[in-house]
Amino acid sequence: MTGFANAGSGIVVRGIAEAVVSNRAWLSEIDGKIGDGDHGNNMAKGFARAAERIGDGDRLDAAFATVTDVLMGEIGGSMGPLYGMFFSDMADVVADEEVIDPALFARMLAAGCEGVMAIGEAKAGDKCLLDALVPAVAAAEETASEGFPVMLAAMRQAATEGRDSTKDMIARIGRASRLGERSRGVLDAGAASCCLILHALADGVEKRLT
Amino acid sequence: MSRRRATALPRGEGGAAEAKPRAPLRFGDDPLLWAAWLYYEDELTQSEIASVMGISRPTVIAYLAEAREQGIVNISINGDRFRALSLARQLSAHFGLKDCLVIPAEGGTASLIERLGRAGAQGLGWHLRAGDMIGIGWGRTMLAVAEAAGDSGLSDLTVMPATGAMTADLSYAPELCATRLAQNLSARMIPVSSPAILSDPGMRDGLLQEPVLAAQLSNLTRLDMVLLGLSPLRPGSTVEASGFLTTPEENRDNYRNAVGAIAGRFYDAAGKTVPGSLDGRTIGIDLPGLLRVPTRIGVCGGFDKVQAILGALRGELVNVLVTDSATAEGILRADGIEVQRQSLTRRPPTLPGRDRDEPPVMAGMQPVKKILNDPRDAVNEAIEGMLLAFPQYLRPIGGSLRSLARAHPAPSGKVGLVIGGGAGHEPMFLGYVGPGLADAAAIGNVFSSPPPDRILDCTRQADGGAGVLHVFGNYTGDTMNFEMAAEMAAAEGIAVRSVITTDDVASSPASDRAARRGTAGNAFVFKIAGAACDRMLSLDECERIAGKANAHTYSMGAGLSACSLPETGRPSFLLGPDEIELGVGIHGEPGVMRADLMTADGIADRIIETLIEDASLGAGARIALLLNTLGSTPMMELAIVNRRIHKRLAARKIEVVQSWLGDYCTSLDMAGLSVSMLVLDEELQDFLQHPCDSIALTFCPDA
Repeated sequence: MTGFANAGSGIVVRGIAEAVVSNRAWLSEIDGKIGDGDHGNNMAKGFARAAERIGDGDRLDAAFATVTDVLMGEIGGSMGPLYGMFFSDMADVVADEEVIDPALFARMLAAGCEGVMAIGEAKAGDKCLLDALVPAVAAAEETASEGFPVMLAAMRQAATEGRDSTKDMIARIGRASRLGERSRGVLDAGAASCCLILHALADGVEKRLT
Repeated sequence: MSRRRATALPRGEGGAAEAKPRAPLRFGDDPLLWAAWLYYEDELTQSEIASVMGISRPTVIAYLAEAREQGIVNISINGDRFRALSLARQLSAHFGLKDCLVIPAEGGTASLIERLGRAGAQGLGWHLRAGDMIGIGWGRTMLAVAEAAGDSGLSDLTVMPATGAMTADLSYAPELCATRLAQNLSARMIPVSSPAILSDPGMRDGLLQEPVLAAQLSNLTRLDMVLLGLSPLRPGSTVEASGFLTTPEENRDNYRNAVGAIAGRFYDAAGKTVPGSLDGRTIGIDLPGLLRVPTRIGVCGGFDKVQAILGALRGELVNVLVTDSATAEGILRADGIEVQRQSLTRRPPTLPGRDRDEPPVMAGMQPVKKILNDPRDAVNEAIEGMLLAFPQYLRPIGGSLRSLARAHPAPSGKVGLVIGGGAGHEPMFLGYVGPGLADAAAIGNVFSSPPPDRILDCTRQADGGAGVLHVFGNYTGDTMNFEMAAEMAAAEGIAVRSVITTDDVASSPASDRAARRGTAGNAFVFKIAGAACDRMLSLDECERIAGKANAHTYSMGAGLSACSLPETGRPSFLLGPDEIELGVGIHGEPGVMRADLMTADGIADRIIETLIEDASLGAGARIALLLNTLGSTPMMELAIVNRRIHKRLAARKIEVVQSWLGDYCTSLDMAGLSVSMLVLDEELQDFLQHPCDSIALTFCPDA
């Protein structure tokens, strides 16, 4: 058995929430450079509320669905729907599965990524969260056959590199896109939070495997 | 030595004065008051005071000590200094606290509990307001807070214990803590006439039916703040000594996931309720009830309390924390946070080449003064205030402050108009709800789109059977959320069409009009769309006309200084004293270009020339004109710009049919203005002159 149980993996999502909440100030600071500086606050508000509603025994898909409900129902903005769809479409892939193996995990991530792209009309290279997500999904798909440890490491690295790549980009989506050249030189807050979420997801899965 | 800031209070009666020379008359022959005044207000040294008063320096010292003792001098330590301590700041930031007070771990001869009591009383004072109802837990620390509390001078305070009563031989039982606090605050006291723990659940349920007790307990739902001690679960702690755990071994087993207790309710490391056998037998506030109290002050210190405090912070059971520095460090470390010993008020110099280097524009940003309570409550409190001022226009849908409908329902069969967007643009969007305008508005957080549920509520409310038109600005978040709401409404059988406003010429070239953002020109589009709906036109027609109004609307803004968000309190960008930003948006983002400061006429020329060119306006054109303040630019300056713009338009033989001037779509406290124009044809002019009535826009052609 090379997978982890869906049942009881809600705790992984609580770990993601903790990571977001404790990086609230950092995310807001990044956002403040070319946005209005509230990305961290809004994300922390949403994930903290979601974490309160996730029980220890919750399944992964149930916990994902809880995050979606809070983000889409209470947070709004652009991150509410984008991350809402990310978690919702990931939940759909694993809802009927009891064990999540690397191939399924990669499929789950890919579905989440497609959900974001379907609702947001953005693509990698626009200086947005997809710049972290798309390469991370690609890395996961490529390394799924090598098992979780290799795959998660590859996913983390791709996410980090993707996040850092946004620094040299000009924003083509969202409010910062009106700034043109002035948006160059700073990280994208969405890519930063996405990278953070993917790292916390990988950390949580590793704990479930041992 | 830096002089403490203190206030010498006038005293009613004069003391016996043997001092010569005589004290000035205003001190009423009171040498203590005189000495205190010279020391604290006039900032003389003790030797200087001795010479002025003709007494020895030891006598001066004695007078000053006596003045403090008698309460002539009240020394209060400035709360901001305490909050600024880096530990308090780190705790506040990490756990999202409303406030945090960290006292030194060591100091003086008083015990930690006594010192925490004094700090807790001070923290209470910062948050207390006249008319507040205050709940208090029990325990040694709570008693110390109650003992240390002083008369605040605030009227109409009420104190009540958060739980029922305890065994009589406990000196820090709930009723005693509450009584002492009520006495010291000169507050009214509401008792809870029941034991905290009953021997069986049936007894509790019976007691809760008693009208006297039920009335007392109903006050727990009205608390404005609650003072709480946090008890870790260990032998000898307050919880066990109070007889809460009658058979400790058995109960500890029952509650083995619990890390602490507040008011006799047990919680785990995440701050969630740990259910157990006591729940059905306890009378007092429970954790969900506690979370509904706006201000939850936890007073607690000691390394053994770290886990209990951590759980309470994670679960937000406490949102104001009073503790000591050693405990504060322990909490942060336990939660994996590196403790920063340096003050965070000044950022360390940035290192080049790393993630965290900052563009020069961030340097030197000072906090902006604002009239706020808790910044996180700003949007809701503002809407509450608007509803109170304008009940004739607005009412909340289903009790929600974020979904607002017109006060008097529209006739059925009319196409409903729903608008919405982030807060911070007041009077947009709620100011455009009323007859002849929108039927409902959905409001998000500051500069952040409302979520789909709120838009859906508005859509349902606005639907009179003829379908609903959504009109909103062209932003990623708004587009996604309105699209989702439209899909959800369609699934319920409500036909929805959307018109996305794109009036800001600076945000995208004319060749890519659809990419422009929506700004103050929204007001024109809402006006025209509202008129079309009010004339009972079909959904197709309303959509066409609103879309046409948008296509005929052109705006451009100029910013003199950035706005600052309630939660960050700092300007979103910095402008030099001789600079302006042209093409600013309405969310505190910088403009498309920076220019040297110009005169009013210079700004007017620059904007109107851009607008005329972008709209390809020639002689004979007719327009409606809108000059809008971005927040803090006064009407006077708008009028000066308006004068020049009219002059320039007249020279081009462009007729201004209507000229609007004032606040239509602001960007919090940004300084600057925007100019919008709606290019009219007969149809648009006809709709523009249709009557309407709302907070922001009232037009009655017959009057």
